[in-house]
Amino acid sequence: MTDPRTIRIVIVDDHHMFRTGVRSELTSLAGSAGLSSPATFRLEIVGEAGAVESATQVITAEKPDVVLLDVHLPGGNGHGGADVIRACAGLESQAGVPVRFLALSVSDAAEDVIAVIRAGARGYVTKTISAEELLTAIGRVADGDAVFSPRLAGFVLDAFGAAAGEVAEIDEELDRLSAREREVMRLIARGYQYKEVAKELFISVKTVETHVSSVLRKLQLSSRHELTAWALGRRLL
Amino acid sequence: MQQPQQPQLHSQPQPLASTPTPTPTQPASGPLPAWRAKPRPPLVRHRGDKVLAGVAAGLAAHLGLPVGWVRVAFVASSIPFGAGVVVYIFLWATMREEGSAATLSGMPSASSAVGATVVSSTSAPAAGADPGAGPGAIPSTVGSGVTGSSSVSPHPHHGIDLAGLRSWLRNSNQAVVITLLGVAALVAAAALWLGSAGFDVHAEVVVPVVAIVIGAIFFWSQLDDSSPLGGRRPVRWIWLVVGLGFTLLGLVALLVRGTNITEVWQVLGAVLAALVGISVLCAPWILRLWTNLREEQTARIRATERADIAAHLHDSVLQTLALIQRQSTDSATVARLARAQERQLRSYLYDEDSRAGTLGAALTAAMGEVEDLQGVPVQLVVTGDRPMDQHLDALVKAVREATWNAVRHASPPVSAYVEVGPDAVEAFVRDHGAGFDLDAVPDDRAGVRESIIGRMERHGGTARIRRRADGTEVELRLPVGDPDTATPTPATTPTPTAAPPPTSPATTETTPPPTSVTEPQEQPS
Repeated sequence: MTDPRTIRIVIVDDHHMFRTGVRSELTSLAGSAGLSSPATFRLEIVGEAGAVESATQVITAEKPDVVLLDVHLPGGNGHGGADVIRACAGLESQAGVPVRFLALSVSDAAEDVIAVIRAGARGYVTKTISAEELLTAIGRVADGDAVFSPRLAGFVLDAFGAAAGEVAEIDEELDRLSAREREVMRLIARGYQYKEVAKELFISVKTVETHVSSVLRKLQLSSRHELTAWALGRRLL
Repeated sequence: MQQPQQPQLHSQPQPLASTPTPTPTQPASGPLPAWRAKPRPPLVRHRGDKVLAGVAAGLAAHLGLPVGWVRVAFVASSIPFGAGVVVYIFLWATMREEGSAATLSGMPSASSAVGATVVSSTSAPAAGADPGAGPGAIPSTVGSGVTGSSSVSPHPHHGIDLAGLRSWLRNSNQAVVITLLGVAALVAAAALWLGSAGFDVHAEVVVPVVAIVIGAIFFWSQLDDSSPLGGRRPVRWIWLVVGLGFTLLGLVALLVRGTNITEVWQVLGAVLAALVGISVLCAPWILRLWTNLREEQTARIRATERADIAAHLHDSVLQTLALIQRQSTDSATVARLARAQERQLRSYLYDEDSRAGTLGAALTAAMGEVEDLQGVPVQLVVTGDRPMDQHLDALVKAVREATWNAVRHASPPVSAYVEVGPDAVEAFVRDHGAGFDLDAVPDDRAGVRESIIGRMERHGGTARIRRRADGTEVELRLPVGDPDTATPTPATTPTPTAAPPPTSPATTETTPPPTSVTEPQEQPS
């Protein structure tokens, strides 16, 4: 992580204004090398798209490291961002690792989150996120880690019944969180950054990332029926 | 000339209703103006001004006629062959009572009313409620026929559960069956009476006509296909078939009257052929009419929804955008307006009204208030939910106070996390500022002491304030009672899992406790 590498990203959003805004924010931030934490990498925006079909084309052609993906997109089978992820399944970036997707949306609706995370996105942040946080999130997703917003963490706690006290007995159990995963999720829901979580629990940032990735895997693979029922019933994170 | 005529037309039923008949229920003039203002009130039985079951009053309201006329018409049409009685019973069976909660009082009055109708129809419109009190032999035979039918009705439920009986009557076609039994008994009695009185009763005419009428009642009973709960109950095809069969039989019997038995099949074939021909001719028309109706309905629903959304957007979003344009130089105000509008639109889109009265809704409202007053965004995350009570109200106020402090004295991002657990509600309010020093800021300390710590302790909870390197975190904990009440609505949380947690870990005791399992993962760090 010490050598300044280049992360190539594609921005997919059907609002031209938003694409322009994100592009200018990210370039100005990543361009200024004096920044402390996020600027451990260089950022190159290699493409933009505004619909499912064009996004699939651009991503296949450019093979970026990270795709910033809006949840709601025109075209495809009507599932927006999830359709893009499915169409690009198995695609590898120029560096030879899978293309990673970071979902970005104004919507906090649970069914949107569920759909795009279960399709394979590595994280979910809302569009009101600050540019620095977004940059950090991009770096994290490029490394293959998961990015959870506080809302997503709250959603996970709720959907897995962890808020009600359910805890997995074995780590491998897909339908529940382990005690430590629950702790991590609670701290993220409380607004803690990863490094703050690490400090609070006396573990390394890498371990926090491992826990979060494990939760993401459970979120994607779990067949827990409440996951969907909850999403449909509650609508909001 | 035109001008004064208009109001006169409208007020016409009023004097007519009050003048001609001195029926005992003239308090009807109370509700009268209400139905007169509407174009056409629904056909429901009136509860207020009724002599028997309220059918006449309801019919009068529906048709816009004076109630007295309708009553006189009922009585007059009952004299020749009991037609008025039949119509009355039919209407009673099919008309819903005004208001839906009137089930308890409705049933007994209605059943006794059937008996009473017969008496009043044969003798006088006086409200003699006892069928046996009718003068002479004729009313008693007729009365017994019908009261026999009405006494059938409480039989399956043994007359206790009147509300259930009423809904049973309304839901199924039992009412129709009972009515038909009554009609049959009435007709038989009338035929007997006419026969004994020397009239020549043509059974071969009367029976088919009765069959046709019964068939028609069966058939039409399916027209009223809305259930008392407001939904639509499915059309029962069996009743349609039975009704059709009765009508067919009646028609055939009427046509073959007096002819040879071998011609029955010819007549039956002719009738069937005619019916099939007519239905084949009409089917495309009916189908097109039906689809047109459906299309029109959906289009109208869409238009209404669209109008609703447009009205909402106009009232909220457009107004806010106009405000933002006017104050575009003041970035703080713009941010505040945008944030408030976003919240409002969100609650509109995701229908947060349905969560009203829960902790989540109260917290959302409180955080929104802080945001509006201070113009600083607060990130709120709530897991689980439960209905509000006074202790939770104190918690919400404490959370609001903590957030208020964080927003005022610290720097964003400010986040609040509330977790509704099975035995406690925990709340965390966190900011990223320099934090306030409990000892250095006496004013704040007083505020914090009183409105956060003191308030929580008064309600049996605890409050803890932690200073961190990069901010402050207020931790609130409020023990809550039995987890059964923690399930406000099954839609908001997957709470079937909330009740068993104390027992579920015990089921697999062989596995090590969860904390020890995760330990090895932390070792490499």
